Amino acid sequence: MNGRRTPGNFPSGDELFEAVEDLKRRAREFTSRRGSGGKILRLIPLIVILLWLATGLYVVGPGERGVVLRFGKAIDQTEPGLRYRLPWPIDSHRIVDIAQVRRAEVGFRTATAMELGRGANAGVRTVPQEALMLTGDENIVEIHLFVQYRVQDPVKFLFAAYDPEAILHTTAEVALRSAVGRNTIDYTMTEGRVEVQEQTKSALQMLLDAYQTGLFVTEARLLVVDPPNEVRDAFHDVVRALEDRDRLVKEAEGYREDVVPKARGEAAQMVQQAEAYKAQRVIRAQGDAQRFLQVLAEYHKARAVTRDRLYLESMERIMPQMEKYVLDPGQRDGVVPLLPLKEIVAAPTPDKARLSQDAGRENP
Amino acid sequence: MTKLVIGVLLAALVIVSQMAFTIGEWEQGMIVQFGNPRRVLREPGLYFKLPIVQQLIRFEKRVLTNDARTAEYLTLDKKRVLVDHVSRWRIADPLEFYRSVRDFQRATARLDDLISARLRQETAQHNFLDLIREKRENIMEVVTRDTQEAAKSFGIEVLDVRIKRLDLPQEVQASVFARMRAERERIAKRYRAEGEERAREIRAGADREREVILATAYETSQKLSGEGDAQAAAIYAQAFGQDEEFYAFTRRLQAYEKILGRGTTLVLRPDSELLRYLQSPTGQQ
Repeated sequence: MNGRRTPGNFPSGDELFEAVEDLKRRAREFTSRRGSGGKILRLIPLIVILLWLATGLYVVGPGERGVVLRFGKAIDQTEPGLRYRLPWPIDSHRIVDIAQVRRAEVGFRTATAMELGRGANAGVRTVPQEALMLTGDENIVEIHLFVQYRVQDPVKFLFAAYDPEAILHTTAEVALRSAVGRNTIDYTMTEGRVEVQEQTKSALQMLLDAYQTGLFVTEARLLVVDPPNEVRDAFHDVVRALEDRDRLVKEAEGYREDVVPKARGEAAQMVQQAEAYKAQRVIRAQGDAQRFLQVLAEYHKARAVTRDRLYLESMERIMPQMEKYVLDPGQRDGVVPLLPLKEIVAAPTPDKARLSQDAGRENP
Repeated sequence: MTKLVIGVLLAALVIVSQMAFTIGEWEQGMIVQFGNPRRVLREPGLYFKLPIVQQLIRFEKRVLTNDARTAEYLTLDKKRVLVDHVSRWRIADPLEFYRSVRDFQRATARLDDLISARLRQETAQHNFLDLIREKRENIMEVVTRDTQEAAKSFGIEVLDVRIKRLDLPQEVQASVFARMRAERERIAKRYRAEGEERAREIRAGADREREVILATAYETSQKLSGEGDAQAAAIYAQAFGQDEEFYAFTRRLQAYEKILGRGTTLVLRPDSELLRYLQSPTGQQ
């Protein structure tokens, strides 16, 4: 069983063919010497024996491994090629594909071509009693687990455990549920997904070794980790809420981006206006002062004349527009000094308003 | 002569086929004589027995699986849970096995009874949450150990007992879903409230920034205006202060020009300063 074929244990194919050829030759000599007839009958046992021996030939395909049993005991493993063992009932053989990567599906089944042909809609069908499981925080989660494995030890695979592939399926379920039961639903669904996967894989391999299945797990992958249908909406709503949160924040940030620069612009405008006002005030004051000083210089040269001139010039400008009455106080009898208030009241008010405004501005 | 040889050979074959048998790698056997076990055959290979009087009983040698049906148990906190278990076992002692349980079906039933009883006992000692979390492995270990002990008397070696499914009954599931939904709604609300919170904070911050900027600008502008006014006042004071009387005179003239005009009625005396030359060229009254 351990080690390859041992020489002398049983004849190799080549030796056997030589033996067969030898027998044929002798048979030919035998028949030719004794002549034909009933002699053919003597050959029958020989042919039967040859056929019986020939049943020991078998082919081990590529990627396969043959296991030879002698009286039920595994004595040898054979590599791909044409092989020979002793015929029944002494030896028998089994062939195991050790290269093929096999797959197991927990929680779902991929629809077969036949099912698809019958009009099954999706390629994958959930098996709720396998897929739904409790998490450590007492929630229920739906998980699809996909396992890839191959045969590592053909002898164990054949003889150590009853139906190793069924063992793999249930054990994968055990490992998965145990891993999920240790973690919370959020952890399993998000950052813990890979960890749960790894826990499942290592637990699965450990148990498979303990059960002597001879199987090696190459990959265990969580294809689906979802909330069950009954609560899926609520979970989706959490995702939407998360987006809402970001949207609200973004909107507020947009508001800030809008308001603050505008305020800065407004502020700059205010300051500029104030600067303008200040400059204008000073320059105007300087102008006014210069004008005054110029006139004052002339005034100092000829006080009375300048004064009179200024006065009269002003009067000339003012008087023409006014209504004027010249009354001699000595002739008071002829004129009643009546002030027609009505007219005054009815008189243009805008003028008054303008006057008061101008007065206010002129007098700092 | 030939016929005799063939006859003897055939007879030998029949006898040998009655006596000889093989035990495969996957099985073990026991020779029973008149119902009494005589020999246990553990190793694979070719064996012989007496024909007719001795009988061969074959047993599995491989690891066997007992995938039990789901049963309902009660936890310490009086919650009902659905638990099923998978046990792996093999026939360690065919003699004991044959004596006590005889075959696979009965062995399975006995194991089921043993494990279920032990599981019931264990689940009743733990709270539901512990059961699905950290205690799961412990319970499996305890149950495995006790089952191993008890199964020895059946000639069975139990490799392990594992809890496969540990679920809530259908009617409890609905309430779990309701709770999950409530939990998610809570989280969703929290996210939205958080968004609202931060949005308000940002908006208020922006408003505050705007107010501060505007107020600072107002402060600056007022200061500037004041400076302008002050400087202007200083310039006026400096200039006009050189001759206050003349300023009063000219400024009043300016004011008259603005104040008086169309619509103003003036009553003048002929002897007024303005008209003093109107009646006499000398200006004498």
